[in-house]
Amino acid sequence: MQVAVSKRLQRSPQHIRSLFERFGIYIFLAILIVTASLVSPNFLKPQNLKDILNQSAALGMVAIGQTFVILIGGGGLDLSVASVMSTVAVIMAHNTEGQNSLFIPVMGVCLLFGIIVGFINGTLITKRKVQPFMATLGMMIIVQGIRFLYTKGMPKGEFPPIQRYLATGDIGSVPTSIISLAVMVIIALFVLRKTTFGRKVYAIGGNVNTARLCGYNIDFTIISVYMISGFMASIAGLYLAGWIGISDNWVGKGYELDSIAAVVMGGTTFEGGRGGVLGTIVGVLIVMMLYNIVLLLGMPVQMQFVVKGVVIILATSFYASFRRTQT
Amino acid sequence: MSKNIVEMHQITKAFPGVLALDSVDFNCMQGEVHALVGENGAGKSTLMKILAGAYRPDSGRIILRGNDIAFHSPREAQRHGISIIYQEFNLIPDLSVAENIFLGREPQKRMGFIDNTSLSEKAQSLLEDLGVAIDLGMRVSELGVAQQQMIEIAKALSLNADIIMMDEPSAVVSGKELESLFRIIRTLKANKKAIIYISHRIDEIFQIADRATVLKDGKLVGTVQTSDVDKPKVVSMMVGRSLSETFPQRKKLKQKQEVLALKNVSREGFLKDISFNVHKGEILGIAGLVGAGRSELARAIFGADPIDMGEIILKEKIIKKSSPKNSIVSGIGFVTENRAHDGLIHSLSLRKNLTLAILERVKKWFYIRDRYEKEISKQSVDQFKIITPSIEQEVRYLSGGNQQKVILAKWININLSLLILDEPTRGIDVGTKSEVYTLMRRLADQGTAIIMISSELPEIIGMSDRILVMHDGEIMGVVSPDKATEEGILMMATGQKRTINKAEG
Repeated sequence: MQVAVSKRLQRSPQHIRSLFERFGIYIFLAILIVTASLVSPNFLKPQNLKDILNQSAALGMVAIGQTFVILIGGGGLDLSVASVMSTVAVIMAHNTEGQNSLFIPVMGVCLLFGIIVGFINGTLITKRKVQPFMATLGMMIIVQGIRFLYTKGMPKGEFPPIQRYLATGDIGSVPTSIISLAVMVIIALFVLRKTTFGRKVYAIGGNVNTARLCGYNIDFTIISVYMISGFMASIAGLYLAGWIGISDNWVGKGYELDSIAAVVMGGTTFEGGRGGVLGTIVGVLIVMMLYNIVLLLGMPVQMQFVVKGVVIILATSFYASFRRTQT
Repeated sequence: MSKNIVEMHQITKAFPGVLALDSVDFNCMQGEVHALVGENGAGKSTLMKILAGAYRPDSGRIILRGNDIAFHSPREAQRHGISIIYQEFNLIPDLSVAENIFLGREPQKRMGFIDNTSLSEKAQSLLEDLGVAIDLGMRVSELGVAQQQMIEIAKALSLNADIIMMDEPSAVVSGKELESLFRIIRTLKANKKAIIYISHRIDEIFQIADRATVLKDGKLVGTVQTSDVDKPKVVSMMVGRSLSETFPQRKKLKQKQEVLALKNVSREGFLKDISFNVHKGEILGIAGLVGAGRSELARAIFGADPIDMGEIILKEKIIKKSSPKNSIVSGIGFVTENRAHDGLIHSLSLRKNLTLAILERVKKWFYIRDRYEKEISKQSVDQFKIITPSIEQEVRYLSGGNQQKVILAKWININLSLLILDEPTRGIDVGTKSEVYTLMRRLADQGTAIIMISSELPEIIGMSDRILVMHDGEIMGVVSPDKATEEGILMMATGQKRTINKAEG
């Protein structure tokens, strides 16, 4: 009898905790927007908001892939995404030299490249039991090396106008890059929430032992999420290169860590099985807004790192305090 | 007679859904070996963990050397001279014997460096006192289990423990090693230490213990002088009479239709030459002690573990490539013994857990038919009387009994022809227990073959149509429930009796 009573008492705070855990990130985003508009009158100007969204597109795309990889659990993460982004950018510039007619075939090569990198990551992790951190770190370095060999350190070429348009243009007054990101988010939401594949990703991330006993093909699913991550990184690389517009060896530098930070701030846990794409997108917006605010306030660019670091730690400790007492 | 070094009065401890200890008294004297016996789940370990400071009792008193005491942590208990040696040793494999004995309490030189000379000397003298010869420089990972156990004992002594608890020490050592363990226990006894020896093996208790306290279902059955009683007396105390548990009525099987047969199945180190069969509509109980290979057998049938030799035949077809996936397709469900480890996905909702094994049926092309899934879930909730605010509730918020029902429902949703249940009622309350029993019998009556592994003998006898007893990876015999007694099964399960007839229906 006593047991039953004490249990009921514990129950309601748990639900409040769970609510906070789920919606905390949205509250945080709202607070950030209000603060930003108070400290800088320029923040709410349409052009500024549009810039933030435009810049968020590429990070959002990488972070979608990263979400799948972190959701699968088992220490899953993908450090090779930034390397893939830079590499597809130089592949595109070198081979099209700015011609629209070559855009589609070269894009195919780029996407294939990302998928292959993901396949190797996934295979190393499942079949050779390499820790995801080390497997994707190794691939990150290898892909970097391949890129330098390929460009001989001197990236050249230009991007086709189609690509520039996709990354910088507008349809009506909405940036094409944001429309693209929105489409990808919708597809990712559908895959994660409505398909058996998505269900398996959550199941494996939640408890791989149970998933195995339910007859799921664990290795296949894990390899698939790394392929998705590689694929999303290629697309993001092309968008980001199109946005920047110059062939460079370091397109996407730092995106591996930024994307992981966005995913985790968005509520997807490293243990796997919890979280999702919507939170990730909010995480991406937070990262990008922080960059923006630092610029608007005329602070040195280096300040961005300090602010971002602080916010990442704050966000994670926020989650930790709500999860601590749960079993 | 010397006086009690420790007394525990009216100790009560509840865990969610179970009363683990109900007003238990226990005491132990200096220079005494006191055995604590009972079946699995009787509350032995809980009682000892309370004395070791790992749990705090809900009520009751602990009197140590005449003083009332309440421990807040294992460390505090240690400081008061209480040490416990668990089945799982607390040793660091890559450190040496001497380093392990004095882990965290290494003798130091100036500047905080470890004084290796003094460390070795102290360790050496401890081991000599115990009369054990182990090379101090060896890494623990290079030692056998028995030697590791000695090191744990030495560690306890180095803490100046005068109450030493051993949790099922014979679960890891046997034969000659057990004899040398007994020799050491006698040495400790001669040195006025109090030894609390937890076991469910009757033979050992009569060899080593002065007194024995018997627990059953969290209650004290009694404390006896081992010289005053005989083995059958202790066995009957352990088994007792169960609390008015009623089991659903069996029906006579009309015809025997074989669902599953095993022929000479072996797996190195776990299963030896296992042959038996199960029929449609039958509940086959598998009894045995922990470590007898029952769960391994279940995993082998389900395809979760490989087998080295033998054949598994399902509905007259030999299974060539067994895997969980194929098993599910051919209608085998498997409720494992450890709900938390591999039964559910706690971060997912009830609805999503219920359809884990039937995604193939719920989907259309590649997407999940939400409406159909909800329908199935609602049906399951009604059928199994799962108590939940909604089908969208995460299963981690459900009670243990309800979680167990979710697991059962999950498997029954596949086209079930054989259901394997490993300890289906462990840790769930009496009310839910009887619901689970009714459900099992109803399934069997509908034609499902059921294999039920259980450590609770009343359950085995009350539910099974046939009982298979395992010991040490082998089948010791098959008994029919109307002829079975708990004593008889226990004799077979402890390897003291064997019926030669092979398992045949």
